[in-house]
Amino acid sequence: MTGSKWKVNESLIRRFQSVGRALLLCDLEDSHSGNIALRWKNPETGRDQLVITSTGSQKGDLAASDICFLPAEGTDYGYYKASSETDIHARILALEGVSASVHAHTKHLTFVTLDEGDKPGRPAPFIPVDPLGHYHLGGLVPVDRFAVPSGSREMTETVPQRLSDHRVTAIQGHGAFAKARTIEEGLFRLCIADNSGYVVQMAERVGVDVATLRAGIQAAPDAHFSYPPDEYTIADDQSCDFPEEEELVREFYKAGARIFESRLSPFHTGSLSVRGIAALLYAPKAAMPREISGPLLRTPLAADSADSPELALHKAIYELSNFQTIAHCHVPEAEALAHFVYPGESRPNDRIVPIDAEGSFFYLVIPVVPPKTEVETLVRLLHDYKVVIVRGGGVWGVGAQSLSEVLHHPSSVREICQYRVAAYERGLDLRALEPEKAGKW
Amino acid sequence: MSLPDGYHGRILEVDLTTGGVQVTALEPALVEDYLGGRGLATRIFYAASDPACDPLGPENVVVLATSPLLGTNAPTSCRGHMVFKSPLTGVIGSSNSGGTWALVFKSTGYDVLVIRGASAEPVMIDITPEAARILPAKHLWGLDVHETTARLLSEAAGNKRGRVLCIGPAGENLVRFAAVMNDKNRAYGRGGPGAVLGAKKLKAIRVRGNLKTTITEPERYQSGLEQARYLIKAVPTTKRLLRDMGTSGLIRLINVIDMLPARNFQDNRHSFEELENAGGEALRDTILVRPGACGVCPLACQRHTQVGPRKGEGPEYETLALLGPNCGVYDLEAVTLANYRCNELGLDTMSCGTTIACAMELFDKGIIPPAAANGLELRFGNHAILEELVERIAFREGLGDILAEGSLRLAKHFNHPELSMTVKGLEIPAYDPRASYTQALGYMTSPTGACHLRGGYAVSLAFFGGAKEIPRFSLLQSPIAIRNMQNLGLIQDSLGICRFTGYAFGTEPWSRMASGVTGRDFSTARLEEIADRIAALERLFNLEAGVTPEDDTLPARFSTEPLVVAGQQRVVSREVITRLRSDYYEARRWDRLGRPTAGLLSKLRINGRQT
Repeated sequence: MTGSKWKVNESLIRRFQSVGRALLLCDLEDSHSGNIALRWKNPETGRDQLVITSTGSQKGDLAASDICFLPAEGTDYGYYKASSETDIHARILALEGVSASVHAHTKHLTFVTLDEGDKPGRPAPFIPVDPLGHYHLGGLVPVDRFAVPSGSREMTETVPQRLSDHRVTAIQGHGAFAKARTIEEGLFRLCIADNSGYVVQMAERVGVDVATLRAGIQAAPDAHFSYPPDEYTIADDQSCDFPEEEELVREFYKAGARIFESRLSPFHTGSLSVRGIAALLYAPKAAMPREISGPLLRTPLAADSADSPELALHKAIYELSNFQTIAHCHVPEAEALAHFVYPGESRPNDRIVPIDAEGSFFYLVIPVVPPKTEVETLVRLLHDYKVVIVRGGGVWGVGAQSLSEVLHHPSSVREICQYRVAAYERGLDLRALEPEKAGKW
Repeated sequence: MSLPDGYHGRILEVDLTTGGVQVTALEPALVEDYLGGRGLATRIFYAASDPACDPLGPENVVVLATSPLLGTNAPTSCRGHMVFKSPLTGVIGSSNSGGTWALVFKSTGYDVLVIRGASAEPVMIDITPEAARILPAKHLWGLDVHETTARLLSEAAGNKRGRVLCIGPAGENLVRFAAVMNDKNRAYGRGGPGAVLGAKKLKAIRVRGNLKTTITEPERYQSGLEQARYLIKAVPTTKRLLRDMGTSGLIRLINVIDMLPARNFQDNRHSFEELENAGGEALRDTILVRPGACGVCPLACQRHTQVGPRKGEGPEYETLALLGPNCGVYDLEAVTLANYRCNELGLDTMSCGTTIACAMELFDKGIIPPAAANGLELRFGNHAILEELVERIAFREGLGDILAEGSLRLAKHFNHPELSMTVKGLEIPAYDPRASYTQALGYMTSPTGACHLRGGYAVSLAFFGGAKEIPRFSLLQSPIAIRNMQNLGLIQDSLGICRFTGYAFGTEPWSRMASGVTGRDFSTARLEEIADRIAALERLFNLEAGVTPEDDTLPARFSTEPLVVAGQQRVVSREVITRLRSDYYEARRWDRLGRPTAGLLSKLRINGRQT
């Protein structure tokens, strides 16, 4: 690649690098797997091009030379470096409204879509049981089984076909493809899909009757989730409405990076806020990698009928409290454990009791409430417990002071849940491990 | 409504003018709405006081209250709270002390002590479960705090624990920043309560008791207790720093964040060599005899020290910084000896230090002529005169008589009020507000004048807050952050517990302990509401005493003389002050003149003077 091309394409290449790095950090890829593709209008020629990662490149460390620029109208097999799945991406990019296509080895989604069916055959679609998966993936992810599940002709035919009706499609034993408007949105969708797989995997690991849960969701989806998350937006991710609050901006980005890197919520999900007097500083894409921020907004603190349900809930909590900070994260372990039923019992638990030392002292119990819990009840519990798990609605944490303080809550919840999963899998009696006093709280 | 456990249900009311002593019932509604300690004392004081009264006249009322946690083993639950009209500031005085006096007072069977009137002759109050008596104290008048304490304890007979709270000569001489001392070296320090008792000719209050505090729901209480104990051990400040070095260990740390004042807040730069000899490390390595602790306190921040043949307590951080670097002094022993003398004579070391620093600046600038200094070389850094100055202030000798009025009156006396580093007349503690908007706003809005405790312990958010650390220069975040810190302080003061527990945790464990002791639901939301109620009532008193928004400000120095903080020149500009103040009022739901709105008062069930 020549120097002039590098200059023209610099921002584009940096976006590829950032998305590649994020895919790796999300553990959606192994060292070399996956590919990222984009339909791009070359500003020098005015012509569309297909830009795609090269075959065998390390997505976590993409160099400029790992990004291939091909003709958009057809794959260029003469370009020796382009991905072996370039033709699949090219067909995906030809779908109406699609400008980006991302493939990753979404392991958790892939784990939970394995079955023992005959090949080639068609496995059952994947049904998410978490709100992000349900709403962002349209309620299901098609799953296909291929004789040659990598770069094959049948994949080239089938995958784009699946994506004409769905946002993400899975290939049994291999991974998933997402169509999108931007490569960031492609990353987002694959993260959501893999997270949904992880939630199901976690739920299965603690004995949740996932089949029954899925049936219930399919019968009455809205009853199982708090509210639809905000639609994913592709503009203004770099925007900041309050640059004068330099320290606070840094705090938002720091907390956002931690949420993303610690997997407290999938990429660009969850929300963070700091309350001012009349204004609310709000990050609607809380899980922000260091290189792919989300917008930082300043919005009136007063409720507005145009507010999304997510923003409205932030405002409602502040209206009823003295809290200064709020974090809402879709902690996958918590999403799963919210459905946990103690052996011998019939209803999901209404609390998660930490069994680890630190968790049990910081949080005697963590309330688990139904998806449609009234805000007054939620605020009362937040006053007393600082963090609440909403079944089908994520983890809400509050702080009196700082973003760092409020970040601690979902982070602890994740660890607390991990301890419980591990103990359950080892056959330990969770009731016996729980501090006796927790039963009274 | 019945009175919950945790209270004896009795208020001891003493009228020093008439010599009357009576016991009245503590109304259950009061504890439901104001909890105890600061809340209860403020509520009773507000109803009994005249905001226009002369703070040194007989009509000033002193209320001392305990909390439901006192008498339990809740960590640090030993503190009493005293409310009065301050002779230094003219606004509400609200002072809190550790030690063990308040614990023993509660064990005499009373929750609250109300002192009215003034005696013509020196008197003391002797309180046991059997009787409360006003006794002559002419023989004690003129004795220092340690002598008074020793005399009264030696006179006390019986098998009950005896404790003494008293004033020293500074209080007798109406020094406007005289402290009320207990356990010899623990102080109700700020705002001049010692002068109020001195004006009432009340030398001492001796208590002896053995009554217990009952706990309604032990398991609920225990769950909070265990959490509190764990977190205290988990956090470095409460686990190690305070025990190892006392609060004086903060000297270097506060310097690291550019908040340690020098020479009457003219600077914040100190050399490593200077601080090496003036911090907690030097104290530990040279004069420390042993750490000590208040009642039921695992933190053990007290420093029992010795300089030559003289033994005493301290210095703590504020004393060390304000009598030390803020006076240009980096001599640990000189500061320690001045501290000893302050304790013995009954002086607030903080106001004392900053008043001396003000005098030094006035002298340095030639405003106090050498002749007026009575032969003392009042220059910054002259450690040799500290103890002598303390003595002259306490006995109002020479220039000491003017210093005894506090730094604002001192600076006004010499026609340079701008050199007084005070808010509402109370000397600023040892954290430079230019290094943190939150700290600045805390000083501006503290009901008692510039107090790092009543104003919200903001420094714990600036450097030691752990997860609670906030940006130091956020206009948006500071108003609510400081309101929330003030509220936490209001809750702590109303539960009789130490501010330092806030390094480890907030309200939740206390909520469980208070609910466990009382059997009532003191949820964190309810505690927050109680805090809002107390803050509104304190504000009402101050408004009635004449406070206006112009009083919620900082000395001009902090707006006009920049300091380097974290590599940048910083001031707290007038625009920032105006914005912070107005946003704080909104955060409190006060109007633009700083008045609690009718809606807020109604919600909080406060009916002004009819309360």
